[in-house]
Amino acid sequence: MADSAKADVGVAGRTYPPVTFQLEPGRVAAFARAIGADPAAGVPPTFAAVYSLGATAPQLFGDAEAAVDFARLLHAEQEFTWSRHPRPDETVTSQGHVTTDLSRRGMRFVTFETETTDARAQPVCRSKALFVIRS
Amino acid sequence: MSRREVAFTREQIAAYAEASGDHNPIHLDDDFAQTVGLPGIIAHGMLQMGLMAGVAAEAAGGPEKLRRIYCRFAGMVVPGDVVTFTAEPLAPGKLDLRAINQRGEPVLTKSVAEYD
Repeated sequence: MADSAKADVGVAGRTYPPVTFQLEPGRVAAFARAIGADPAAGVPPTFAAVYSLGATAPQLFGDAEAAVDFARLLHAEQEFTWSRHPRPDETVTSQGHVTTDLSRRGMRFVTFETETTDARAQPVCRSKALFVIRS
Repeated sequence: MSRREVAFTREQIAAYAEASGDHNPIHLDDDFAQTVGLPGIIAHGMLQMGLMAGVAAEAAGGPEKLRRIYCRFAGMVVPGDVVTFTAEPLAPGKLDLRAINQRGEPVLTKSVAEYD
């Protein structure tokens, strides 16, 4: 009966409206410096934390029905898969989707996926985050 | 094997918050972090992953070659911690990624990258 303690508590299946994000070169360079990368070497791969995950996760955190306690949230796992890396100044569109939302032993586990596409609707990046919200 | 040792500082964590737009106070405010049961401020998992991806990119022959990266944030990183990030070939086009702190504790586990 391990599953008796496991309940679907929330917003699995919810998709948020797409968000447009411009990769402003100054911001890309500041991000590169913050992670010790060469600002001249283009867009650091994990700038996806900003243009993909970061562009969409606030929609989940600000969703009153999702009721995510941001202060008790830990980022437990993260995956990025790139079809290609975007260029500075490019404009991309990201759309977030809650794939699972489970409660187990007093912890809540939310899987949040984001698809990022370019101006021609071609795939750029897919982000998959696992958030754990401690009670 | 590509390797990099990073001593985490408050300034670096604050710079990452500013650059990434992730202003969660658990990364910026000790008093607040303690009210939610943390020892004090902790580094962003995404800062660790950014540093890890840099080492993976070096092993892959350039950041543009990375096709996938996965990290599990297994341990907290606090200011003063010294973390050693390594990327080691696992198979053609695949890297085993590790990050271990100064006490020998893994902070990233089961982490991998794939590249062209």
